[in-house]
Amino acid sequence: MADRALALTRRQFLGRGGTGLGLAALAGLLEGDGARAASPASASAPGGMPRLPGLPHHAPKARRIIYLFQNGAPTHVDLFDYKPRLRELHGKPVPVEYVAGKRFSTMTGMGDGKLLLAPVEPFHQRGDSGAWVSEFLPYTAAMADELCFVKGMHTDAVNHAPGISLMLSGAQIPGRPTLGAWLTYGLGSDSENLPAFVVMTSVSRGTSCGQIFYDFYWGSGFLPSRYQGVKFRGSGEPVLYLSDPEGLPRSVRRSMLDDLAELNARRLAEQGDPEIATRIAQYEMAFRMQTSVPELTDLSHEPKSVLDLYGPSVREQGTFAYNCLMARRLIERGVRCVQVMHAGWDQHNSLTTELYTQCRDTDQPSAGLIADLRQRGLLEDTLVVWGGEFGRTPFIQGNLDDRKRWGRDHHPYAFTSWMAGGGVRAGLSYGETDDLGMNVVREPVHVHDFQATLLHLLGVDHERLTYRFQGREFRLTDIHGQVVRGILA
Amino acid sequence: MSFLPPSREVRERLRTASGVAGRWGGWILGLVLSLGVVAADGEIRFSRDILPVLSDACFACHGPDAQSRKAGLRLDTAEGVRAPGKSGAVVVLPGDPGHSELIRRIVSQDPDEVMPPPKSNRRLTPAQVDVLRRWVAQGASWGRHWAYEVPVRPPVPRIRGGENPVDGFIRARLEAEGLAPSPEASREVLMRRVTLDLTGVPPTPAERTAFLRDDVPGAYERLVDRLLASPRFGERMAWEWLEAARYADSNGYQGDGERTMWPWRDWVVSALNRNQPYDEFTVWQLAGDLLPGATPEQRLATGFLRNHMINGEGGRIPEENRIDYLFDQTETVATVWLAATFNCTRCHDHKYDPHTQRDYFGLLAFFNRTSVDGSGGNPQTPPALDVPSPEQSRKRSEALEDLAAATGVTEAYEDHRFPRAPGKLPADSAAAAGLPETVMAALRVRAGDRDAGKLEVIAGHFRERDPEYAATLDRQRRAREIRDAAIRAIPRVMVMEDVEKPRATYVLNRGSYLQPVSEVSLALPKALATNSALNPSNRLALAEWLVSPANPLTARVTVNRLWQALFGIGLVKTAEDFGVQGERPLHPQLLDWLAVEWVESGWDVKHLVRLMVTSAAYRQDSRMSAALAERDPENRLLARGPRFRMPSWMIRDAALSVSGLLVERVGGPPVKPYQPSGIWEEATFGNKRYEQDHGEALYRRSLYVFWRRIVGPTMFFDVASRQTCTVRTPRTNVPLHALLTLNDLTYLEAARALASEVLQATASSDGERIRSAFQRVTGRLPDDTEVGVLTRALARHRATYRADPAAAERLLSAGESPRDPHSDSQDQAAWMLLCSTILNLDEALTRE
Repeated sequence: MADRALALTRRQFLGRGGTGLGLAALAGLLEGDGARAASPASASAPGGMPRLPGLPHHAPKARRIIYLFQNGAPTHVDLFDYKPRLRELHGKPVPVEYVAGKRFSTMTGMGDGKLLLAPVEPFHQRGDSGAWVSEFLPYTAAMADELCFVKGMHTDAVNHAPGISLMLSGAQIPGRPTLGAWLTYGLGSDSENLPAFVVMTSVSRGTSCGQIFYDFYWGSGFLPSRYQGVKFRGSGEPVLYLSDPEGLPRSVRRSMLDDLAELNARRLAEQGDPEIATRIAQYEMAFRMQTSVPELTDLSHEPKSVLDLYGPSVREQGTFAYNCLMARRLIERGVRCVQVMHAGWDQHNSLTTELYTQCRDTDQPSAGLIADLRQRGLLEDTLVVWGGEFGRTPFIQGNLDDRKRWGRDHHPYAFTSWMAGGGVRAGLSYGETDDLGMNVVREPVHVHDFQATLLHLLGVDHERLTYRFQGREFRLTDIHGQVVRGILA
Repeated sequence: MSFLPPSREVRERLRTASGVAGRWGGWILGLVLSLGVVAADGEIRFSRDILPVLSDACFACHGPDAQSRKAGLRLDTAEGVRAPGKSGAVVVLPGDPGHSELIRRIVSQDPDEVMPPPKSNRRLTPAQVDVLRRWVAQGASWGRHWAYEVPVRPPVPRIRGGENPVDGFIRARLEAEGLAPSPEASREVLMRRVTLDLTGVPPTPAERTAFLRDDVPGAYERLVDRLLASPRFGERMAWEWLEAARYADSNGYQGDGERTMWPWRDWVVSALNRNQPYDEFTVWQLAGDLLPGATPEQRLATGFLRNHMINGEGGRIPEENRIDYLFDQTETVATVWLAATFNCTRCHDHKYDPHTQRDYFGLLAFFNRTSVDGSGGNPQTPPALDVPSPEQSRKRSEALEDLAAATGVTEAYEDHRFPRAPGKLPADSAAAAGLPETVMAALRVRAGDRDAGKLEVIAGHFRERDPEYAATLDRQRRAREIRDAAIRAIPRVMVMEDVEKPRATYVLNRGSYLQPVSEVSLALPKALATNSALNPSNRLALAEWLVSPANPLTARVTVNRLWQALFGIGLVKTAEDFGVQGERPLHPQLLDWLAVEWVESGWDVKHLVRLMVTSAAYRQDSRMSAALAERDPENRLLARGPRFRMPSWMIRDAALSVSGLLVERVGGPPVKPYQPSGIWEEATFGNKRYEQDHGEALYRRSLYVFWRRIVGPTMFFDVASRQTCTVRTPRTNVPLHALLTLNDLTYLEAARALASEVLQATASSDGERIRSAFQRVTGRLPDDTEVGVLTRALARHRATYRADPAAAERLLSAGESPRDPHSDSQDQAAWMLLCSTILNLDEALTRE
């Protein structure tokens, strides 16, 4: 009722006051809940956005989510989905029944006659759960009992941008709201000083096949733009225009904002447009962000033991390790959704070269984040997701004799993602592919099922979080999606 | 907070869900716009009262989409409703609700019987049930969706203050609502409002003085005429058109190659400025190439259709790209001219509107006739048109002449050096015998056809042996380079051009290029082209139909967009959707009157704009009383003047303008003003570097700022992404906007320049200077209290910088324009902060 409450308060306020509006009174008016009001004429919300009535739909297992998105599609058959038969059939053509009627990218064509390729590095079973993880990922392997591997993932897309868009927004064509936008729209934000949905990106040095981070990967689509992710930059100021100019002391900035508030408040009294009140509140939020964001990125109080969890590049802004640490600091400060994206992983011809770099740059930070969240008790109600937009072909792209250029092409028919934390069964490997890792044979999880499950864990019924646009109700999972009950704790 | 508010969206949903009453009214607690609610015993109107309810509650399963239709029942046609249902019961028996299955099912208490079924999450309100029941009782008359009926000019309500027909409709409604209009805004406010709306920049002090002094009746109308005649008019009105046309300076997607479509953008500005009739504006852009004896300008206009993104990602299947481009063209045309959500029909028949998937591909077929094949990522993919400036034309012809001359010299020299029979090549000459094979290879090519490499090979061989020959070849090679450079400098605009034998077009199952189903021919959307006997043969016929009297939508849809630009919100709020699920117009008769008037005026855009901005409704004071804020928070009834935050591009242009920095030159290649470093680099892995311009380019209007599609300019917010067609952008109010206008270099420099302007003006006191700065920005003089606040602020800032002169120097270093050499820097810094404060006033950001 805050919109109306505010309007009424203002009306009474303006009706009584009219002139001589005191700043103190205005401050009171804009404090707390009042400042959250969206004015009727335009979408406006300073931080601390309210949640929709009726949400959460059920008691949430997770209150926030960190999505470690691996752009470019990590190779499931080299990292998680162990297939000894690939080694036996190494160099042999793919049996035709595995690929009949399937579509791959133009680089591969139809897949028939391609030669199978054994996993590059050995696999071992890990922890009490006995999950298979490759030697590529020693830190993740050590954490296996905390993780739930979803091995039956499959998607509809064969190219990166549509695949990522499908994974994050439920549709291949850009323009739908993304997971983070839906979540902040539905669940609001607990942070007064930071955006509700934050995105950070990184790429491994020397990556030859970088994928572009399109802003529709964190877009709000037809939802109001205040729900779109705010991308923290990987170099310089994390938020654009955050710093005051040279030669403008902080105290002077404060006094300028006081002047602005006073003049704007007079205007509000004269004009009566609640949008002016929102504007005053937004300038105040901007001022708070000028403090909260530098505080966020100030690592001087992080003990070495914690920094070490994330690995050697944790202090370097713009790295995956730094972003993982930042993700933890963000959720500690009430941010609802953090999307950490790492590009590379597109091993068309770099399985024996760049894949090592990708793993080195992401393995320890991912595992470190889980360990850090666990030691703080945050893992219980934080959902962490790790995965890409599709998998990679069990057969080779390139020449078998040219080991340095071994590669695998895009593979939508099966891949692995993992989840950890709030509400997920730790130590579980869910689903199964055939003996070549080509197709899912047990417990398939389509992208929309995966999304329905993430929402479910956060207390949201994916069929009921909808938004009306162009005359129909839209939702993240479009008209699809089943919650994957088997992975719920 | 224990009781959270429904957000605006939820209220919106409640409003639409509550159907008739909601659509026309507010939402709950009696906080309603008591508009047009069907009185308890009133007459039911099908299009207004029934169709929206049926559409919302029933069409998803019983609508136009045959694939998802349940029980073979359709409720979107008169036949469907009158037909006996599966069970044999009559769906609707006119006059007899008691024997109508429809009524029985919507009131049923049985969860297995009640409609809509509980699991659909749809529910009829008691009011909706009542309306449906009364509709059946009154005979269940059928009709068409309002927007598909050709508009007829309604009579203008005769009412006091309604001299301008716009006001006749607005005031009649206000009167019916028991509301009074607001008085006219002050002349200062009105002048700033209309100047911003029509030119995108605020009035200059001289313009303001001239207007305020003009007390001869008709001063406002004369002002409007001056603004309409200004070249700034086209620059201002072009913005929304560029957003609709998804205009950008790069391809989008990976690679994001730069394109040179800007001559098309300049064409739009010039067409708007010379007030090209909108029907012609339409025909040229959709089919200028097909006009008899098409001129280069008419072909250039068709760049509209080629502004779509181009995907050069490795591994992409060309046919998939090609189909994507056609989707974009089809949906853009459907949105801009028909406000039809055709994207819904790409994969299936429309769920609500009477458009089929076949209609979609029938429309797509018009565009499926060019040579574009979807391969590669060439940002100048043919068909393309060179659009040289006169200077570039001259340089090109000179270069071509010079090359011809240089080639002639080579030929003459070779005739003498390699004597041979006519028609033979130099290599055939006996004199060439024994030359190295690479040289021979080059000599086997005619002199005029040799590329730079071949010329260099021959010249290299002969440099010592025959310096004169080598020098001749070198001259020819340089002439080639100059010619290439002259041609490269010419912008090339992608345009439309049909091939002789067009491809076949197929309906694609679920929109997949891999699944052609059945062939379709060119076809206009059937539900809209009912009055048309046209058998369209190409895009020209499509364009002509779009602007023909037979099409019910183009005029309405365009009038609505213009209204949206000037009043902040359309008469139909869903400017992109005039379908059954779109908003119904709040003033249907006004919309129709304007549409008909406009067409009969010869699609005269300036006439239409003049009608709107000279209306009393537009000229009202925008002050919002508490009662009105409650009654009509969005100001849909216009009992007060429209007031809204300016578009971000206009805020920038206004800041440049009031500070005297703005460089007004119409047209030309895009410019790259200040942008924080690393934006492009980070988004493209360093592949694209932002090379900021210097000098005048920093101060051009926002319209000319380079638009990189994958990462748009950071100085704008709430703008279209320019990736797909957008006809309505949000208006948000978030902290990042505050940071931008406080800290972006453009605004800091504007503050510094504005400070210089007022310091250099002859003024007797600080107070006078403060008044001047305030007036330049807001258009009005501040009152004494405001002057007091700013005077005290100035004193504080002066103290700050007197205590720290180095800080003043650092602050003043913002921006590349020269510093004011006349006043001392501490004083200047203090004034700069004061001006920054003024530029950040809500009033500065708002069109009052």
